[in-house]
Amino acid sequence: MFSRIAYAFRETWESFRRNITLTAAAVLTSAVSLLLVGATFLIQRAFENLLVQWRGDVEMIVFVRSDASAEQIALIDSVLRASPTIIDVEKLRYLNKTESYEEAKRIFAGDPVTLGLLTPETIPTQFKVVPLSDDPTLVRSLSDQYRTLPGVEAVALAEDEFEVISTLSNFIRVVTLITSLVLLLVAVGLIWNTIRTAMFARRREIEVMKLVGATNWFIRVPFMLEGLLQGLIGGVVSCGGLWLLNSAWTNGVTGFKPGTGISSLVVPDSYLTSVMFILLAIGAFVGAVGSAIAATRFLDV
Amino acid sequence: MIRLENVTKIYGTETVAVRDASFDIPKSQFVFLVGPSGSGKSTLLRLINRQEQPERGDVWVAGQNINELPASRVPHLRRSMGNVFQDYKLLLNKTVFENVAFALEVIGKPRHVIARQVPIVLDLVGLADKQDRFPNQLSGGEQQRVSIARAFVNRPLIMLADEPTGNLDPNTSEGIMGLLDEINQTGTTVVMATHDHRVVNAMRRRVIQLDRGVIVRDQERGVYE
Repeated sequence: MFSRIAYAFRETWESFRRNITLTAAAVLTSAVSLLLVGATFLIQRAFENLLVQWRGDVEMIVFVRSDASAEQIALIDSVLRASPTIIDVEKLRYLNKTESYEEAKRIFAGDPVTLGLLTPETIPTQFKVVPLSDDPTLVRSLSDQYRTLPGVEAVALAEDEFEVISTLSNFIRVVTLITSLVLLLVAVGLIWNTIRTAMFARRREIEVMKLVGATNWFIRVPFMLEGLLQGLIGGVVSCGGLWLLNSAWTNGVTGFKPGTGISSLVVPDSYLTSVMFILLAIGAFVGAVGSAIAATRFLDV
Repeated sequence: MIRLENVTKIYGTETVAVRDASFDIPKSQFVFLVGPSGSGKSTLLRLINRQEQPERGDVWVAGQNINELPASRVPHLRRSMGNVFQDYKLLLNKTVFENVAFALEVIGKPRHVIARQVPIVLDLVGLADKQDRFPNQLSGGEQQRVSIARAFVNRPLIMLADEPTGNLDPNTSEGIMGLLDEINQTGTTVVMATHDHRVVNAMRRRVIQLDRGVIVRDQERGVYE
C-alpha cells in the first residue's frame, strides 16, 4: 500500500516538472478565474452591507426616535396596520434597539467614525415596510402621513436611496459571475489538455503498464492527482490575489468621507477567510474534473 | 491452457484478420504461429491477451472465457501472461533493473519482493552485470533479453512473443530462442509469432500456419516450409 502511494506522488511530481509551461498556464488560468469568483463573492457581500436594511422587498423604513415611549411605538404600529391594502402587514417587521444596532454595524463597517456615534441606547429603532401596491405615489403619500406621527424621527424610501445601487450591484454580480464561470470552464479545458499531453508524453509507459496488468485506476491516479494539484495551486494563488485586492480596497474605502455610503463596501475578515476556503475547494474540484475526464478518455493509448 | 473456438476477428467493416480459427494449446507447450506479414499472427496474440475481442467465437485462457471477462478483471488476466515484442518496448529513461522492476511495481508488489525477484530473473537472462545500463547502451539482443526478463519476472503461465527475433541477426536470435526454450522448460506455455524460417526449423515444435487469416496447417514438430 505504501509503495503504491509513494509511486503515485513520485509520478505526479515528475510529470509536473516535465510539463512546466503547460502546467503554469493551467495554474494561472484557474487562479485568474478563481480570483474573479472570489471577487464576485466579495462584491456581493459588500453591496449587501449597503443594502442590508432594504433586504426582502422593503420599500419604506419608518425610523422611530430612540426616546419614543412604548405607547408611541404601539400607535405607529397600529397606524401602519390600518392600511392592509397598501402595506403587507404579514411582512411588517419592527427592529428593536439591539437589532437596529446589529444592522448599523454592517452598514457602517468601513466607517468607524459614524458607528462610534451610535450606541445601542441612542440608536433609532425602525419599522420595515413591504408595500403590496406597485404604485410609488401611493407609498409616497403614506410616508408623508407617517412623518407627522409622534415619535417618528424620519421615513426613508428605497426609491430615493438605493434603487440605483441595487440595480448596479445586480448587474455587476451577473457580469462577474458569468465571466468567472466561463473562465472556470477554460481552466477545466486547460487542465484537461495538460493532462492529455502528459499522458501522451508517457504513452509508452502506459502501454507497458497495461500489458503487464496494472489496473486502470493505478495508471489514472497520478494523472488525476496532478490535475487536482494544479487546480489547488491555482486556488492558493487566487487566495493570495484576493487578499491583496481586498486589503487595497479596504484601505481605499476607509479613507473615504464618513457617511457617504461607499464606506459600507467592506467585507469582514471572517467572510474573506471562508471565501478563500471556497476558492480552494472549487480549485481542487475543477482540477479533479478536468484531469478525470482526460484520464478516463485517453487511457486507450 | 489456451483454446480458441471458431474465432473470427474483423477490423473495421471488411478486413477479416482472423477467420474461423480453432486450436487448443495445452499447458507447457511451445507453439509457433507462422505465416507472411498480415496473415493474422499478431491478431491472434492480441486476442489471447485481450487487447482485441473477436466478432465471433470464444477465447479460453486457463479455463476462463476471457471474452466474458469484465473489463475490471482484464489486468488480472494480463498478470498471468508475459509479452515480448519485436521492438522490445523498453522504457528508455529507466535502467535495465528499473525496466524489469517496473512490471512488478505497477501491479503493486512490495519493494522487498522486487528487490528479490529482479536480480534472479536478470541472472536467468544473463544480464546480471548490466543492470544499471540504459537500454540504448545495450545491443539489440541484450535489449530483447531485458524485455524477456520483464515479461517473465512475475512468473506468468503464458508467454506471448510477437516476432521476438525480427530485428536480430541469426546468432543473437539463437540465443533468444534458447532463452525462450529455457522458460518453456519451467512449465510456461510459449506462443511465438514469427516468419523466421531458421528458428522454426531449428526448434521443431508445433507449428500453426496462417494464410490471410485462415489456419492452413497445424502440425506437431513442424517446420516452416
